[in-house]
Amino acid sequence: MSTAPAHETLGRPAGAAGRPRRRSSPLGSRFSGVPWILPATVLVIGLIYFPIGYLGYASTLDWNGFILAPAKAIGDANYAKMFADPVFWTSLWHTVYFYLITFSIQTFLGFTFASLMHSRIRLGNVYKTIIFIPTVLAPATMAPVFRQIFDEFGQFNWLLNQIGLGSLARPWLADQATAMPVVMFITIWEWTGLTFILYYAAMSQLNPEILEAARVDGASSFRVLRSIVWPMCRGTTAALAVLGLIGGLKTFDIPYLVTHGGPNHGTEFLGTYIYYVMAQQSHFGYAATLAIALLVLAVAGGVLLRTSAGRAERG
Amino acid sequence: MFDIHGRYSRITVQVLATLILLPYLLPLVFGIQGSLGGLGLGNYVKVWNTGIVPTVFLNSAIISVSTIAIVLAITMLAAFGFSKLRILGKEVWFWALLAALTVPEAVILTPLFVVASTFDLYDELPGVILPLAALQVPFTILIARNFFDGIPNEIMEAARVDGANYAQVFWSIVMPLTRPIAAAIIVLTLITSWNSYLLPMLMLTEQSKQVVTLLPSFFTSQYTNDQTGVLAAAVMTAVPEVLVYLAFQKYFERGLAAGALK
Repeated sequence: MSTAPAHETLGRPAGAAGRPRRRSSPLGSRFSGVPWILPATVLVIGLIYFPIGYLGYASTLDWNGFILAPAKAIGDANYAKMFADPVFWTSLWHTVYFYLITFSIQTFLGFTFASLMHSRIRLGNVYKTIIFIPTVLAPATMAPVFRQIFDEFGQFNWLLNQIGLGSLARPWLADQATAMPVVMFITIWEWTGLTFILYYAAMSQLNPEILEAARVDGASSFRVLRSIVWPMCRGTTAALAVLGLIGGLKTFDIPYLVTHGGPNHGTEFLGTYIYYVMAQQSHFGYAATLAIALLVLAVAGGVLLRTSAGRAERG
Repeated sequence: MFDIHGRYSRITVQVLATLILLPYLLPLVFGIQGSLGGLGLGNYVKVWNTGIVPTVFLNSAIISVSTIAIVLAITMLAAFGFSKLRILGKEVWFWALLAALTVPEAVILTPLFVVASTFDLYDELPGVILPLAALQVPFTILIARNFFDGIPNEIMEAARVDGANYAQVFWSIVMPLTRPIAAAIIVLTLITSWNSYLLPMLMLTEQSKQVVTLLPSFFTSQYTNDQTGVLAAAVMTAVPEVLVYLAFQKYFERGLAAGALK
């Protein structure tokens, strides 16, 4: 019924109904699409929005989570408790520096490895496959392996002994100073494959003539990478930065399974802390309050995602 | 990217790549090595003899297949609706779905726990499948809608003129064009559901209902930290994943990349 060209529908917000030139989609009457989006809407409202609404209510209670147990309304006391809770702030701070460090190292390794794989290397396919395998494996599957490796009598200490650094050997996971670096190492180990694949794909799109021209002008390989390739992969880097931020907020499996958030909350994240408060301490009201805080941060991350994606689209 | 002339620079590049790769390879090697400590292959026999290996694989398969089916069906319908049909207040609905994209599992943990204990929904696989699907759907709809937007409307209009209804247009014209995005959605959902740990741990307490990611912890509780058993269980659950990845390597890499870049 309409002749609006297809490109007008590309993810634009719908115009007000009265404006004929901003029709967001050309087919059907005003309601014809509703049944199509109904299942998705019901699922998301029922299992995400309803629980969030419930959280808001539960966060005002002093309650142990059993439906028959008395729940006492305590207003904003849980929020006051949260802002005064050092473990809450520690978890937040962990999320921040965990994100900054894992993102930087992953980006560096993924980018470097991608450029090496574009350099006519032998056995390149084997290398690519191996670095990508961790991305596919469940963190829960690998957690026991890493517990073993970084154990006092594990392979990492054995390796240190072999190369003459035996004095550094220690029970890595039992020490508050070294447990977090191990959790970061495992996270980097798991996700570099994805970073690599994205940079590898981005580099395949580059115009080889530009690189050739730079070389003819006498630029070194390092110079070409830094001044031409890296800036041209900016869109990929931006997407990875935001994905990493959201992923950082979702961190649970690795710290929970490898260190249980310890020792002494040394690897506590918001996710593991919510679980701890709920399952170990049975403070459902307080767990709900922490979940609301996590939600606020995650939605803020999402807004960042949309704005940065918009900026990337505009160039 | 690196300009290579001559044997010297070729070797440098190869050595550098190998050095970066080693930390990624070694944990895999150590895992297999550790699983063969003590009883050797006997560790695997021990894991198998618990009798729950086929059960956890079956449960994981049921959860993954069901989640994929639900996510794929719901995503395709919604993406078509959002991309090609008229809906009053469309972008409001779309943003409401998008806002759910960033919600971490841990946020819905407490409400799920309360609902499960109130209505006694423990040990029911849908208690894991439905939340997994709900957490996945916002993201897959976002990438699918972008894909659908690239399909020209003229194709559908021609069919409409010939008297086809929307369901027919969707099924026989649009669906065949969406194989690449469907493959990406299947891979993304497979990895999330097969690897999920937190939801199954919370919702599935009975042994006959557990999944592959819970198999290693079975040995920490049951045999008071039987390390070789734990590692053998871990390798046993990892091997099928690696094999599936190797068989569908291109789809996995493309799917995950498509997922990362909206």
